[in-house]
Amino acid sequence: MSLSDDFAFTQGSLGDYADCARRFELRFIKRLRYPALEVQDALQFETRTRQGARFHKMVQQHLLGVPAEALAESLADDEELARWWANYRARGLTDLPAQRLSEITLQTHLAGRRLVAKYDLLALAPGGAAVIVDWKTGARVPSQSSLRGRMQTIVYRYVLAQAGAHLYADERIPPERIRMDYVYVASDGERLSFAYSAAQMRQDEALLAEMIAAIDQADQFALTNELRRCRFCSYRSLCDRGGAGRLEDFDIDEYEDEEEETFALDFDQIAEIEF
Amino acid sequence: MPLDCGIWLEGIAGSGKTTAAVRRVLHLLASGVPAESILIFVPQRSLAQPYILALRGLTSHRGGQVSVHTIGSLSLQLVETFWFLIAGDAGFKHPQDLPNFLSLELAQYFMTRAIEPLVEERDYFSSVRIDRPRLYSQIVDNMNKAALVGFPISEIGTRLKSALASGVEQAHIYDDAQTCAMAFRKYCLEHNLLDFSLQLEVFREHVWAAPQAQRYLRGRYRHLIVDGVEEDNLASHELINSLLESCQSALIVCDRDAGFRRFLGADPDSAQRLRERCEVRATFEDSFVMGAEVSALGAALAAQLGAADTAESAADPRRALITEAHRYHPEMVDWVATQVEALVHEREAPPNEIVILAPFLSDALRFGLVDGLERRGIPLRTHRPSRALRDEPAARTLLTLARLAHPHWRLPPTDFDVAFALMAAIDGLDLVRAKLLTEMLYRRERLLPFAEVHATAMQERITFDLGERYDRLANWLNRYIDGGRTDAIDIFFRRIFGGLLSRAGFGFHGNIDAGNISMNLVDSAREFRWSLDFMSRYDAQIDLGLDYVRMVDRGVIANSYLRDWIADVEEGVLIAPAYTFLLNNRPVDYQFWLNIGGEGWSRRLYQPLTHPYVLSRGWPPGALWSEDDEQAMNRLTLGRLLLALTRRCRKAVYLGYNELSESGYEPRGLLLETIQSLLRRLAREEQHV
Ligand code: SF4
Repeated sequence: MSLSDDFAFTQGSLGDYADCARRFELRFIKRLRYPALEVQDALQFETRTRQGARFHKMVQQHLLGVPAEALAESLADDEELARWWANYRARGLTDLPAQRLSEITLQTHLAGRRLVAKYDLLALAPGGAAVIVDWKTGARVPSQSSLRGRMQTIVYRYVLAQAGAHLYADERIPPERIRMDYVYVASDGERLSFAYSAAQMRQDEALLAEMIAAIDQADQFALTNELRRCRFCSYRSLCDRGGAGRLEDFDIDEYEDEEEETFALDFDQIAEIEF
Repeated sequence: MPLDCGIWLEGIAGSGKTTAAVRRVLHLLASGVPAESILIFVPQRSLAQPYILALRGLTSHRGGQVSVHTIGSLSLQLVETFWFLIAGDAGFKHPQDLPNFLSLELAQYFMTRAIEPLVEERDYFSSVRIDRPRLYSQIVDNMNKAALVGFPISEIGTRLKSALASGVEQAHIYDDAQTCAMAFRKYCLEHNLLDFSLQLEVFREHVWAAPQAQRYLRGRYRHLIVDGVEEDNLASHELINSLLESCQSALIVCDRDAGFRRFLGADPDSAQRLRERCEVRATFEDSFVMGAEVSALGAALAAQLGAADTAESAADPRRALITEAHRYHPEMVDWVATQVEALVHEREAPPNEIVILAPFLSDALRFGLVDGLERRGIPLRTHRPSRALRDEPAARTLLTLARLAHPHWRLPPTDFDVAFALMAAIDGLDLVRAKLLTEMLYRRERLLPFAEVHATAMQERITFDLGERYDRLANWLNRYIDGGRTDAIDIFFRRIFGGLLSRAGFGFHGNIDAGNISMNLVDSAREFRWSLDFMSRYDAQIDLGLDYVRMVDRGVIANSYLRDWIADVEEGVLIAPAYTFLLNNRPVDYQFWLNIGGEGWSRRLYQPLTHPYVLSRGWPPGALWSEDDEQAMNRLTLGRLLLALTRRCRKAVYLGYNELSESGYEPRGLLLETIQSLLRRLAREEQHV
């Protein structure tokens, strides 16, 4: 069994591969859905991820014209989310170019494969700055150096440089104009920014191409040797790698449910059973 | 084709319309049109598959992503996005709270909650002999039709009564259905629930009127590709019509002689009005699919049924037909498997170029076919959308274990269910030993330890290895019970899945099917919990796990689910209901039509509370639906179906016929009658020549 020809790589799938080749194989080649718990405190974990998803949705609604006050009114039952919202309102959009596109997906190709990035927000000034904004709702702000090496930082900047021309007056966006901002709304809207450069882009391209080629050529996908990577992996029972980890140790911002392509839940499809 | 105007493209199935439309999408992209500005709009997701595959295959594209939507997915997305702008005006009691969109099964669940007290108290539907879930699903269906066609739900009863009520009893039934629909709608508005009908109504009447929504949709989608427009409904057509005003280009693809989804509100006549809005009109006349004989067969059968004009053809339709009469149903099934084997092994037909179709697939028929083909080493895939999740072994096992783990529900599983669960849960345990364990150790709703098997011979028969694993399962459950914890039901499933069942030595370990089915059950239970959690702010708290399991038992929840069928490998002989095959829109070389004597090919399902034609747009108010109308519609529907099937067939149609049906009757259905009279006519004509 190998990766399907039309598979699209994302920061999530590449991150999985970087963590553990076996996990990549199980999830994306064998497409094994495994409902084991990621963390012991499953309900609290779920609450946090749902809050995060709701926050992202609210920003999108706001950017599409729903008044911030109307959105704020819906938060009477959730103090934490209200605090995040206040931080977003106070600092989330500061110093960003005026053209703002939320929840947009771009794709490019590399090593014969598609490479896809789904952005929370792109703020662009054609001829000027091109800022990628990623909202983070986790309580912990990681170090600048760990974020710099994160697959998301690598993939998002690269894909924008390669595939953003049509959003930028039909001109390839010079890497030097690209910046990626992580905004930690649970930590007073703290912002960690990463500039980009042509040299960095070449380096990232080489790394990504190498990873993709390695995956395409692999006939064996080894289990990781670093047991800590198994703590929050749902395949633990399959690999015999112990029980679920503790939520306190988990970085919620690393957890993203990725859809490859947007195709919302389709009630018509369900109604098909009427025949 | 020009990139700056509206184009209407129509033709018969198999004439290359979708291929042309896919090429147009690729051409738009190659011409520098931003992908985000392209909307592919289809009546149901399976029809978007050729586009999705082509787009996924584009490894040279740099840019954004094309959107693919149905009216369901688009309205859901927009209602959710602009909810806080419109919820108050739309009549929701808690406009500051989030909306709660209901899947079909959850709509039925809430329908049950909302109207069951009323139904019990007033003894509604007591004379209707079908089970409650199916009755309620027809009320949901009526509401969906009203929303799709665009009449108020308050008119459902009047429309049905004026056309169909032949007596007081029937009139009462329609009145009751109307009362239930209104009660459900009120309940939804009070609890921020949106079933499909309300979602669509809110979209049409409120969201689409909001300038922000208009700005978003019109600003974003500049190029429209609509496929299968004849299968879509009035609501979709209105939206497309409106988008045409602001689009830079559009291509609308219409399949002539189709409109099979009438049961779901398909309105081919209203689709035709979009034709007038297009500057360019093109027609594809020739089929690239059908051989001459198959084409002649389709045309002759359709003409016989009045669904098409009589067409002269030099080809002999009989050459496209292969059949053999059998006395009994199993003989016919066996014949089908033998013919498929001959096609695959002797004539080297690829298995995925063969489909086996019936109007409905009973378990017995499905089992017979699967067994016959598997024994002959033929790869196959079945698609029976109404397969119940709860009947899948992995789901059944999890549900039984949930009952064992929650004795306070007072829903102890039966001995057989316990034995079945033990067999599925413990790797290597067969049903005989599972039954022995159950007999000896399932006491007072608990599993006793293996040590309670006192006879050594019996212990040895079970084996100590299996006994040890049985103990791990029993201990896990007993610890859970004694620890007094009650997880949310989906969390319970996940905990026992990860903590036990998927570990080495247990039945779900490395089992892809069990993993996927368990995940489906978890999804269903979680969705249920989320909807109910949300309700707890308005209603009294209920025991979610208990209610979930009860609803599963009643066939309301987890009653049907969709396998990831889009992702299915397209290999193997397909066994499917005829309409499912049609709506997947993929031609094949060989088709087998089974049970051709059955009424199911032409007759509608028994649905005493609803009616696809009377509740359609074209039905004249006040007109009576007569038996003649019914007959005429059955003939027309069958004629269209046969035309559509043959247009998706390249080489031959095999007819599965047995003199005695599955249930032992002599079948005399309209399809059989039509084929027989066609064959007689052709024989007569031959004699005259
Ligand atoms: S459990 Fe560990 S080894 Fe197994 S897939 Fe997950 S991360 Fe890899």
